[in-house]
Amino acid sequence: MVAGTELRLFLRDRSNLFFVFVFPLLLVLMIGLQFGEGARSGRVAVSGAGSDLQSGLVERLEDDDVVVSDLAWDDALALLARGRLDAAVRVDAAAATAYDAGEAVTLEVVRGSAGNAQVVEQQVRSAVDSLRADRGRLLALEDAGVPPDRAASAVEAAEGQVVAPELEVTSVDRLSQEFEGMGQFEFGASGQLLLFTFLACLGGSATLIQARRLGVVSRMLAGPMTSGELVAGQILGRWAIALFQGGYLMVATSLIFGVDWGNLPLALLVLLLFSLVAAGAAILLGTLLENEGAAAGAGIGFGLVLAALGGSMFPLELFPDTMRAISRITPHAWAYEALADIQRRDGGLLDVLPQLGVLAAMALALAALGGWSLRRSLARAM
Amino acid sequence: MTDDVLVVDSLVRRFGDLTAVDEVSFRIAPGETYGLLGPNGAGKTTTISMVAGLIAADAGTVTVAGQPMTPRTTEPKRHLGLVPQELAIYPDLTGRENLALFGKLQGLRGVELKGRVDEVLTLIGLADRAKDRSKEYSGGMKRRLNIGIGLLNRPTLLILDEPTVGVDPQSRHAILESVEALSGEGMAVLYTTHYMEEAERLCDRIGIIDSGRLQAEGTRDELIRLVGGVDTIRLGGSGGDLTAAAEELRLIPGVERVEAERRSAILTVKDAPALVAQVVGTASARGVTLADVEIARPDLESVFLHLTGKGLRD
Repeated sequence: MVAGTELRLFLRDRSNLFFVFVFPLLLVLMIGLQFGEGARSGRVAVSGAGSDLQSGLVERLEDDDVVVSDLAWDDALALLARGRLDAAVRVDAAAATAYDAGEAVTLEVVRGSAGNAQVVEQQVRSAVDSLRADRGRLLALEDAGVPPDRAASAVEAAEGQVVAPELEVTSVDRLSQEFEGMGQFEFGASGQLLLFTFLACLGGSATLIQARRLGVVSRMLAGPMTSGELVAGQILGRWAIALFQGGYLMVATSLIFGVDWGNLPLALLVLLLFSLVAAGAAILLGTLLENEGAAAGAGIGFGLVLAALGGSMFPLELFPDTMRAISRITPHAWAYEALADIQRRDGGLLDVLPQLGVLAAMALALAALGGWSLRRSLARAM
Repeated sequence: MTDDVLVVDSLVRRFGDLTAVDEVSFRIAPGETYGLLGPNGAGKTTTISMVAGLIAADAGTVTVAGQPMTPRTTEPKRHLGLVPQELAIYPDLTGRENLALFGKLQGLRGVELKGRVDEVLTLIGLADRAKDRSKEYSGGMKRRLNIGIGLLNRPTLLILDEPTVGVDPQSRHAILESVEALSGEGMAVLYTTHYMEEAERLCDRIGIIDSGRLQAEGTRDELIRLVGGVDTIRLGGSGGDLTAAAEELRLIPGVERVEAERRSAILTVKDAPALVAQVVGTASARGVTLADVEIARPDLESVFLHLTGKGLRD
């Protein structure tokens, strides 16, 4: 009853709607665009008047998932300067003619300053190499007396028959291994899930103070209800809010951004335990403070600091060792690691058991502390 | 006396060095309205908190409907309806939702709950505003909802803690009428107030409390007899000399004392309405032109003054 009422009050507060339903998804989108793998797709302008060389280059770049645009050279340079392109390639008339004649060709390439630009330059080089190899094969056939039209179809047929060897790359770099298997929006989704679940729950500390101030809590205790039942109801109320926020984000990010939460029951178990930690923290905050405004402010402050420390805003994997050790005081870090195992490495129950154990211990400790503090504050309020 | 709905026996509660409630005892029978009258800080709310099982007593006992009441017991609370001084309602829930929530907490479910909520909404005159959030109600409507929640479980003992504080005269009148009606239906009511008029109007018996101690207890008339049951007649003159008439005024049977100055006199008498004509006639016969005659009869305020040496609103 109390839990249902708390959830109803939470959803009825219009100021919550944006921060519960919209804002977290916007952050997931922004973080996904910044950190996700989609941001690594190169953006190249290939300028020219239209030639076999230009179309061949565009075709090969697009095969390599590079986003190619056909711009005037000056426009391409302007966009490059503004960071909207990673590289610009000029295919002038002389180069096109030389290419058609089978002569040496020099292409002008201007590289941007973004971190991705070096990779994109390499993609341009690979495309040019591929063009050169194709061109070489055609010339070899023609030198052997094959008519040009038959030479082209023979090369095309041969390409269809040859199966390129598959590369299985294992990186020795620790960071690369940590991020292996992570999709574009996965980091943002798990980080914001933890951040907003905790924040939403801590926001509930103000409603507890309001209920005490209004005498609602006293009135409940004047009914046939023990203080233990009341404490349990208050904790359940905050737990329900946290689970609602977390569940919503899991569903929404899965549907909108295609986030894969891995083993869903296991991911939900992480959410359950993490939410219980948040509920205990909310009760504790709501009983230590006497003012709703102070509780709301402190809730946001604590929520953001813990989230930042716990890797919800910046990947834990990029933390220095000392900070990573410090991060372990936060429930966010343990939940983050568990979700990373489940999402990226197909982790099972045994793999995330240590994280689940720590979260369960934190949840029990905070719920017990919150319950004890609530009983004390009730005694004070009477 | 085993039929008493509430038995409070030698209740004591201390907060540090302060004894907020000191050996307070009283009983309430079914259908009786008992008033705890005292100024702010007298110990009324602390007494009520112990009666409602919200806080533990340091000594003494509370028995509700024959069962001992403590913060750990739940069964006697089923017989209790508490209307706290604060508006203990959720402002973001509608009137109906507030009633339904507290009804469920009282153990009501399903059809019984819905029926009882509808009954109470009608009783407190909020049926047509049941779907509005309570924060949109007027002060009087919130007070009525606050009272309605206390009635959901059809309590045998209703505790009202200063229910008319901050209420407009119209709502106040409606609340007092409701309490009278409930008492008429056989409900025992414990009513705390520092408004003498409310205690006089509503309460069958009144306990006067101050500094944590029950100073006196009884019906209104019994309490007034404590101060001797004498009236006062005040005379104001605009001509003549009242000191000259004092001797003759003292001789009137029923006049106990006369304190006179040239232009004013205060007479302490047994029955002022019966004597006032004779007093005015005697003064006029001695050449005094009276501009002002005032009769003062003892009330609970004077009883409180007599018992504690201070006013109810001090």
